Formats: sequence, C-alpha cells, structure tokens
Amino acid sequence: MLPYLLISGLTSGALYAMVAIGLVVVYRSTGHINFAHGELFMIGGFLAYSMITMLGFPYLLSLVLAVPLSFCLGVICDRVVFRPLMNAPGTTLVLATVGLSYLLKGVGRYIWGGKGEYISIKAIVDPAPFLVWGMPVLPQQLIVFAAAMLCMMGFLAFFRWTIAGKMMQATAESAFASYLVGIRVERVYTWTWGVGAAVAGVAAVLMAPLTLLTPDIGSGLLIKAFAATILGGLGSMSGALVGGLLVGLCESLVGGYIDSSLQEVAAFIIIMIVLVFRPSGLFGAYGVRRA
Amino acid sequence: MKRFQVSSAALTIGLLLGSAGSSAAEVGVTDTEILIGALGVLTGPLYNNGKTIYDGVETVYNEVNAAGGINGRKIRYVREDDACKPEQAIPAVKKLIFEHKVFMIHGGGCSNASLAAMPDIVKAQVPWVITASTAPQLTDPVNPRIFTTMLAGWMETAGQLQRLIDTGAKKIAIVRQRDAWAESRYKPLLDSFAQAGRKPVLDEEISADPSDATGVALKLQAAGVDGVVAVLFPKAATVMIRDMYKIGYKPLVVGGSAIGDVKAMDQAIGIRGALDNFQALSPTKSATDPSMAQWKAKVKKYYPQDEFQTWHMFGIASGQFMVEGLKRAGRDLTRDGLAKALNGLSVSSDAYAGPISCAAENHQCYRSMAWFSFINGDIKEMGLTQLK
Amino acid sequence: MNIRKFITPRSLGLVVLGVLAALPAFANNYWLFVGNLTLVYIALTVGLNLLIGYSGLLAFMNGTLFGVGAYATAIFRVDFSWSYGLAIPLAAVLTMVIGVIVALPALRLSGLYLALATVAFAQFILWVLLHWDRVTRGPSGIQVPQVDYAPLTDSFEHGHYYVTLVVACIIVWLTANLLRSRYGRAFVAVRESEVAAESIGIDLTRYKTLAYAVSALYAGLAGGLFAPLLGIVVPESFDLSQVIVQFAMVTVGGLGSIAGSVIGAIGLVWLQEFLRAFKELQEVAFGGMILLTILFFPGGISAMLKHWFPGWREPLRRRFLDQ
Repeated sequence: MLPYLLISGLTSGALYAMVAIGLVVVYRSTGHINFAHGELFMIGGFLAYSMITMLGFPYLLSLVLAVPLSFCLGVICDRVVFRPLMNAPGTTLVLATVGLSYLLKGVGRYIWGGKGEYISIKAIVDPAPFLVWGMPVLPQQLIVFAAAMLCMMGFLAFFRWTIAGKMMQATAESAFASYLVGIRVERVYTWTWGVGAAVAGVAAVLMAPLTLLTPDIGSGLLIKAFAATILGGLGSMSGALVGGLLVGLCESLVGGYIDSSLQEVAAFIIIMIVLVFRPSGLFGAYGVRRA
Repeated sequence: MKRFQVSSAALTIGLLLGSAGSSAAEVGVTDTEILIGALGVLTGPLYNNGKTIYDGVETVYNEVNAAGGINGRKIRYVREDDACKPEQAIPAVKKLIFEHKVFMIHGGGCSNASLAAMPDIVKAQVPWVITASTAPQLTDPVNPRIFTTMLAGWMETAGQLQRLIDTGAKKIAIVRQRDAWAESRYKPLLDSFAQAGRKPVLDEEISADPSDATGVALKLQAAGVDGVVAVLFPKAATVMIRDMYKIGYKPLVVGGSAIGDVKAMDQAIGIRGALDNFQALSPTKSATDPSMAQWKAKVKKYYPQDEFQTWHMFGIASGQFMVEGLKRAGRDLTRDGLAKALNGLSVSSDAYAGPISCAAENHQCYRSMAWFSFINGDIKEMGLTQLK
Repeated sequence: MNIRKFITPRSLGLVVLGVLAALPAFANNYWLFVGNLTLVYIALTVGLNLLIGYSGLLAFMNGTLFGVGAYATAIFRVDFSWSYGLAIPLAAVLTMVIGVIVALPALRLSGLYLALATVAFAQFILWVLLHWDRVTRGPSGIQVPQVDYAPLTDSFEHGHYYVTLVVACIIVWLTANLLRSRYGRAFVAVRESEVAAESIGIDLTRYKTLAYAVSALYAGLAGGLFAPLLGIVVPESFDLSQVIVQFAMVTVGGLGSIAGSVIGAIGLVWLQEFLRAFKELQEVAFGGMILLTILFFPGGISAMLKHWFPGWREPLRRRFLDQ
C-alpha cells in the first residue's frame, strides 16, 4: 500500500505546487498575496473549457491559448484592483483581493454554472492508467508533475539569470529603491500579475481532467497552496514545489494510515505547526516578515 | 402645525401596520395570480442542485401559464436564496412570508437550511411542498401543510444496501461524505445493516471535494470489499471510482440519487469502462426516455444557459404534481383547501419513475426508485423498486 | 453649513441607537430578524476591529470563536439544561479562555503569517465541529429552543432583539472607554511599532493578550445570542466566509474606528439583504461592492466621514498614510 500512497501523494502534491508557484511569483515581486489566485485559476480553466467545447479547439491549442488569455485577465486585475491600491495598507489590499475573488467566482458561476455539477475536460492523452515501476498512474497526473517541475525550474532560472527576474525581486525588496534606480515599478507589477495568472491558467488546463472544474475549486486549492508555500518558505520557488509535494504526501499518508477523515485537515495542521515552530519554513529565504 | 404632523405620521404608521394584516382573499392569491415562493440554494457550492431544480419547476409553471393558468390565475414563482446555511435560510423564508407574502412555498434544498426555516413556515401555517430536502424531521411527524415530493434519505440507503445484498455482495463497505446530507442517510443506513443482520466491513470518509481517493480505494481493496454503498455527491464519487479503476479494483458500487445521472458520471470520469460495475438509483426516469424530449426542449427555451440534467427532472415532476394540486383546490383557493387537495392526490409525472401520491398520514409522497447503470456508452435501466 | 459641525461619532451614534431602538415598532418579522442579526454583527465587528484596526493583529479567528460561543451556549442549554441567562455568559467566558489559549502561540507571529495561521486554525476547528459527533452532533448540528422572555414580553423576537441591543450598546460603550484609556493607547503603540512600544515599557504580551481576550469575549457573547436567534447551530455557519464578511465590515467601515465598525456592520448586513434581488448574481454584486468601496474609500467609510465632516473626531483612529 505504501508505494501507492506515495505516488498518489506526489501527484496531488504536484497539483498544489503548480498553484503555489503562481502565488509565489506574485508575492516575490509585489510583496502581497493575491487571495483571488484560486479564482484566476478557475477562470483560466473555464476559458479553456469554452474553447474546447464551444469553439472546438483541440486540447493542446487551448492549453497554449490559455497562457495569453489568463495573462490578460491578470493584467486587468492588476490595473483595476492592485494599481489603485498600491499604497494602501496591507489589510485593505487583502480585502480587495478577497472581494475580487467573490466577484470572479460569481462571474464564473453565472457563465459556466448551469452546465452541470462540474465540467469535465478530456485529458490530453488516453486517460487509462499505466504503470510506473509497477504502480498505476494516470497519464495526466504525470503531465502535471512534469509541468510543475518545468515551471519551477523555469522560474528559478528566470529569477536568477534574467534582468527582468532581478527587477521583480528588486520591487519586492523595496519599491522606493527600485524607483530610484530607474525600474518602472508599475510595469513590473503588471507583468507579474499577468505571469502569475498565466501560470494559474496553465495549471488549471492541465489539472482540469483530474480535478473537475467547478466555480468553487479556487478557495480549496488556495488554502492548499498556502500550506505549500508556508511549508516551503514564503517567497521560495523551490519551496513552493517541495512544499506542495510534501503537503500532498502528508495528506495521502495520513488518510491512508491514520484515518480517511483526517485527509482534508492535514494541510491546516501543517500550516499551524510550521508557523508556530518554524515560520520561515524549510527554505525560508526571507524570514518572518513584519506586517 | 406640530400636532398635524404628529397625527398624520401616526395615521401613516397606523395604515402601514394595519395593511400588513388582513385582506379578503387568501394571502398570496389575487384574482389573476398565485404567488409561490421558492426557498433554496442559489449561490455557493451546491447552487447547481438548487438552480436546476427550480428551473425545472418554473418551466412547468411557465407552460401552464402559457396555456391559460390554473382556474384563471397565473403562477408567479419568486426565488429566495438560502445559500445552504441556516442564517441565510431564516431571513430568506421570512422575506418570502412577510415581504413577498407568498401563498405557499415550493422548494427546499439543503436539509440544515430547511430545518432552520421550518419553525417560521409552521408558525405562519404556510403550505410547503419540498422538492429536494431529505431530512426526516421535515415530514415525520406529519404536519398537515408540509409535503415532500422527493425520496426520503433512508429509503435510498435501504434500497442501496438491499441492491448489494440482492446481487450477492458479501463484504459491504460504506464510503461517505461528512455533511448534513450524508449524515441524514448514514444513521438509517446503519439501521438497515442491523436489520439485515450485517455489519459494514469498513466505514470510510471522503471529503466532498477530493483531488485523490487512492488511499480509500486501497483500504477497501485490502479488506476484500466486494460491495460499496456510496453516500456521496458526484464530485467525490467520480474521484473515488476513477481511483478504484486506476488500481484495478472493481467492486460493485451502488450510489444514491445524488449520483443518479450516470451519463454525467461517465463523462466526468472520462475512462470508458470505469462504470461497468456501478449502479445508482434515481427518483426519475432515464433522461433519454422519449417523454423527456419535449421537456428538454422546453427547459432549453426558458433557460438556454442550462444543460439538461436529472435535477431538472426533479423540478418538472414536482411542478406537475403542484399544478394538479392547485387545480384540484379550485378557484376558491385557500391554504387549507390546498392542503386538503394534496392529501389524497396521486400524480403520474412525465419525469418521475413512479407516481407521486400523498395520504393524510403520510406526506412522504414519493417512494419509487429506478436503478441505472452505464454500459457500453448507454444508460441502461436495471429495475424499479417501489416502497409502500 | 453649520450642521456639519454637529455630526460627530457621538451624535450619529445616538441617532443610530434611536433608530435601532424604535425598529421593532415599525418592522415586520423579516426586518426585525435582520435588525437582530445586525446587532450581533456589531458586537463581532467591534471586537474584530480591536484586533485588526487598533492593535494591528491580523487574526482571523473571530468567525471560529463566534462558533465556539454559539456551540458552547447550545451545549450548556441543551445538554446541561442550564438557563440561557447562565449559558450565554459562561459560554462567552469559555470562548474568551479558548481565545487566549490559542492566542499564546500566535503572539510571536505577525502580518501575513498570523493571518494564515489563524485561517488554518479556523478551518481546523471547523473540521472538529464537523467530526466531534459526541459533543457537537456533527454535521446536523444542535437544535436549540427559543429564549423565554416570559415576564417581560411574549414575543421571542422582540425580547431577543432588545436584549441583543442592550448587549451591543454595552460592548460599544465599553470598547470606547477602553480605547480612551491607557489600554487603547498601548494598543495603538503596538500597532504602529512593536519595537518602539517595547522601548517605552509596554509589555507586548500583556496588551496583545488583552486584545485577543476582549475580542474573544465579544465573539463568544455574540455567538451565545446568535444560537437561539437561529434555533439551530451548525458547523457551516462558522466557516471562512463568516470571518470574511466580518473582515469586510471592519475594513469597509474603517479600520481603527468603532463608529466605522458599527456602520460597516449595519451597512453590510443590509447590503446582503438588499442584494437578494440579484438572486444568482449575489456573489458578483457583493464582491463588486466591496471592491468599489475600497477603491473609492480606501480608508473606509469613517475616513470619508472624517473628510466631509470636520467635527468627526475619534480617538486614535488609524490614519490613512502612504506606506
């Protein structure tokens, strides 16, 4: 039983990691958490669904198109919500993104709500499971796993080696100093929001065959993503990936060995334990931030 | 000047207070209109169950109105959202009763919300026909003005267990969600087990929104379970069945009305053959039944954004029952008259597998369950269970 | 226009009190319930503001403690057969104790970490409420009887409304006095800079714990009054959306302003009722209204009032500064 649980834990962990990565990208650049991230994920997925079922696009094309579409959604959110409130107190921004999440959820419900309990999107390959080292895995789960690794490595490289990546880190460190050295801070923020949303959209399209889209998946996944980022260390990209995988593993093992009813609460217990004993997480790059 | 202002204010207040009370005709009934309220979930994760059922009801009402109404009156259906929570249900029902002043309430989704709203409905003596709530306390003990057109939770689980026993399952397990809906079915299910002289081999819980259920599937497989009573909603059931298929484990899974739409289940799982050993019950006929074709078109006409689902059929059946009851209550329509008319009423709806019939001592008006499975790309009807 | 000078928190407060006190005379059963709900939320919002607005502690356990208060009251009333007069205050005290116990590990956290920890805790408690069948009856919850106000009035709705009104008034008055005292100044000092506060001898632990305790007490009281109002106590009433609504009330009303909290509570409860007209689009409308309010009044309604009415002075209200 153990190997089965490990594999299933890793595969659902990869899901959480993908959502967490998008969250961390925005945090690393703006210093704020976007509480509507889950809903950006959800809308991205539904947009792909519309493209596949209504416009008849093949899955791969929808996946590719999800990037610019979600990017635009992120940019709109930045312009409408974030930019005007850039200098507002942190709590105001939190509430603004929460309000945004309600708005997006309601819009998602209105447009795609009456279609059924959940929306199903055909997987990219034949969804029948195949064996990996003797253990059954759904092909889509492997794809999500691979995508999460790619995303993480891509972003790590981006932040470390490109100028744009460094600019994004600079704006998080100090917006004021960034202005002084000539960085167009607002531009960077806009791009960040776009990129974060794009990651969320791609994640949604990849995950949709596995999790089944409903307008409410945003909030549940967001909390798991929080658990992932906190475990890994807020602001750390590799932490988001490792954290996500660990959260998935914990859930799976706890559910399998202790009690199935504990599976859904494992993530919260992880958050609480980590924050009380080691708030900086595993790879805590930035330490405990003050409000 | 001041005295005039005071007395005119007093007069206005007096009029407002006074007009709140009496009127010659029955509350909610005018010469041309019957006002019916719908209490149910319109927002929140379970909105799909609520909205689609009321769309079904309203489709029936719209058709009746188009044909001239009932005894010369048109039906106006006004919905209020309870968001599946008691603190929303109470103001919603109070708004229906005291603001909209409805003649009766036709609705009721989430059990906790309906139970919270019940005292107000009972106190105001508003007739209530329940479309989906299955909490037993709603109709037991019998209230003269409260009826339900939905199967009781205990009927479903008793039926599910019986189905498994009939097909020869030896080791039966329960897999359930942790919410009020599942809870109202779980306790009667344990009673059914006791009555059949059996005990569940395993009793597992899945979250209502899981991303993975492999752990549960493995546990069941390890215990050699060959029959599963699924007290689950579609999302959890889909993930569970998919993960069972993934590890090559195929027990007979029997589901309740919540997963009665087997075609939708197949689409969601996406793996042909995963449902080969699956049966679910539904109060409704198959959605592909010829009598439903016209209803599909009608629902599409009024609600183009809806995709036709089994839930619509719940609403259509209940709506047809209601229309018949209102007709029988006559032109001189009163709440008491309606309750009397409903008491002995028996209606064969287009959408339900059996008749909806109420008796004075039994307001649990529906007791038939159709069994469906999905084999080789088609919905297959497996049988019909009718309780007394 | 001279009249602007007369609009102060105190005068507006008296007007609001007057309207609330007179409400039962001209409201039907529905509006009376909504009014009662508003009063419960006023108690909650004032408490939450004490944490978030005045002390700068982003603690989102208020919804959970609200639930603890409600469940405790239900258990005391139904299982122990105590009267409500005993059950509600004791439940409030129990909630306060639990609030303080939970606050202890949270003292070391701040900002986002505190927020996330309390959110996780809230979800955890929700799980406990859902699964601890023996005590909380699990998902079906506990049904509680109405309060019997017999010698005073026959109508439960009226009696409960006035009792809640009195409790809400006491809470507002107590908090206002608390904030005018050295405790209030200490809270603000903690919020503005913990380091500076410590350097002038303010014991952070003591004052933070006090803030948590007071808000927990209010939440417990509110929960105790909420339980008989609904007649049933279920876990889903105290999920995350509960604390989000409270948070919205505090922020829209104005952080660090009691008057703001009251206005925010009244405004958002009535907004939610008004939004019923939107049926399925309620969430869109709610989110949209929150966003619009924040975009136009980032400091909340009390900041707007301060801007328009020069007489509007509140002690130690948070100023909207550039950061």
